[in-house]
Amino acid sequence: MAGSVIVITSGKGGVGKTTTSANIGTALAHLGYKVVLIDTDIGLRNLDLLLGLENRIVYTIVDVVEERCKLKQALVKDKKNPNLCLLAAAQTRDKSAVDADQLKNICEKLKEDFDYVLVDCPAGIEQGFQNAVAGANEAIVVTTPEMSAIRDADRIIGLLESKEGVERYRLLVNRVRPKLIKSNDMMGVDDVVEILSCDLIGVIPEDTNIITSTNKGEPVVNDEKSLAGMAYINVAKRITGEDVPLLDIDEPTTFIDKIKKFFAKKA
Amino acid sequence: MYDNEYFVVDMASCTSTGEIINSLSLALETLNHSGKKIVLKLNESYLNQSQMLSIQSLITSYGCILDTVETVNEDTAKIAENMNIFVQKPIERRVEEKYETPKKEEFEPFTINVENPNDIAVKDVTGLHFEADLDAIQKQQNNININNDLREAGINPRSDFESIEAQISSQYTQVEEIIPAVDEYSKIVSPIPSIEQFEVNFEENKEFENTEKNSIGVYKKAYDENQLQDDQWEEVDFYETPTSDPVVSDTKNTTYINQTLRSGQILEADGNVVIIGDCHPGSEIRALGDITVWGVLSGIAHAGCKGNMNAKVRALKMNAVQLRIGNCYSRRPDGTNIPYIIRSSIFTPEEARVVDGEIMLFKINQN
Repeated sequence: MAGSVIVITSGKGGVGKTTTSANIGTALAHLGYKVVLIDTDIGLRNLDLLLGLENRIVYTIVDVVEERCKLKQALVKDKKNPNLCLLAAAQTRDKSAVDADQLKNICEKLKEDFDYVLVDCPAGIEQGFQNAVAGANEAIVVTTPEMSAIRDADRIIGLLESKEGVERYRLLVNRVRPKLIKSNDMMGVDDVVEILSCDLIGVIPEDTNIITSTNKGEPVVNDEKSLAGMAYINVAKRITGEDVPLLDIDEPTTFIDKIKKFFAKKA
Repeated sequence: MYDNEYFVVDMASCTSTGEIINSLSLALETLNHSGKKIVLKLNESYLNQSQMLSIQSLITSYGCILDTVETVNEDTAKIAENMNIFVQKPIERRVEEKYETPKKEEFEPFTINVENPNDIAVKDVTGLHFEADLDAIQKQQNNININNDLREAGINPRSDFESIEAQISSQYTQVEEIIPAVDEYSKIVSPIPSIEQFEVNFEENKEFENTEKNSIGVYKKAYDENQLQDDQWEEVDFYETPTSDPVVSDTKNTTYINQTLRSGQILEADGNVVIIGDCHPGSEIRALGDITVWGVLSGIAHAGCKGNMNAKVRALKMNAVQLRIGNCYSRRPDGTNIPYIIRSSIFTPEEARVVDGEIMLFKINQN
């Protein structure tokens, strides 16, 4: 059994790579797959915080690379889901502490034991990105419906195409606001897909629950009511090969809207 | 020199217009000064006409009048005069005697010799210079003035802790830079004990073994949080005998740091460590001896890192992600993080020691 290595990248910072990694990882683990999350953002790690595991980390990826511990020793098990593990980045070093070949080796080893190896990529296209992409055979490009994020995503897709190992890349449009799209103040998802001419893997609506879940250290997927959580579960299902229709994120908010929608459906 | 109908706002320490407007609106909002004449102390900073106009309109929106501007800057003075604002030059303040430079002899109990300064990954911690920074004292004076105004209105602007901190920081020169000890990463720390964070077990279709057996344990409080137990302090002995050849630090050798440790910074010392300041999450302290943090400890602290199980970690507020003493590792219990720290009011000085192979927290007796 060889699992697949999926890198989650974006080029631009702040579009939600780490949030996406944490949520897709948790969702896949909920679905019963064995998942390991690798944080490659050495020096600026955050993934442990989103999962609420920061107090459990003794060994990091740098300790593994420098052979101060075994790979399996450095894996931190999730608090709730035993299927989910984290390989944390070191906070006290920088990106040059690890090189691409070393990360590729780690990915290869983990692939044997896990169904999915998710690599959380740092922002930028420098060493950190080259490391993260090295072992990947699939990529998820995260973007938001803004010109700056789309331009960076375009650059990233170009780089991914030139990489040998990456067989497939798909687009995840994050932080979508249906109301703004309706009033033509925000680019629609279709426009983004058209500009980037890339397969879509999911659309995540903007959700205030993300902020609270980040502070609590609990991925939003665990919250059943959250729209973003539902969207992330759908993305996870699509990763496993299941054909799931796009979530209707355009949910009516007020009572009158609901009535309007009810009649609109009938007509 | 100003009577009751004036309200003096000291902005001499502000560097930008935004800062001035922010602190001014804060001062005006917290205190009810409508109808009063505002005296704005600007000292050297230059403001152009539009900036001055916006400040004036801000003050009028709170029902006050911008009456006087104290400034050294001639351009600012001209603009203010054009706007019919009274301009004054500030009276030079005399530095009070209690802020006089302390003599080195007086601080004899605090001077600590670092024998091998090269062994410590921190620059310039050896010489404790006692030359007070005159600018800093001037700034402090200005701050005290605005604080006095706030105190008169019944507001306590800073906690006592911060004022003590400010006094201390004016007396000592700052440590230049803390260098993360990247090249000599494991110079001081002995091989980490074989803690298995998580044993992966994939034999056929077996589920993950959900055992906490090998994972890192939680540090506990040795006392009832609601009750102060005086006797516990004396009664507890050190049961744990040190493991193979621990390197016990020389107690004379102490590193003294007057700085906040930030995320990613490592402090290594071959003796005891005293830190006046906070240790933020993501920072790490490794010392052969004891670690004392005069502030909030939120990072990782490893005392007795070459196997000295008798080492201690002390902090005014213990919020450490992980506490490590000798070969003993422990983590913070889940959900007990204090993300937003309200200073001084929450200080509960605690000391961590190893008891029966477990790291326990003890309240530091105040008597």
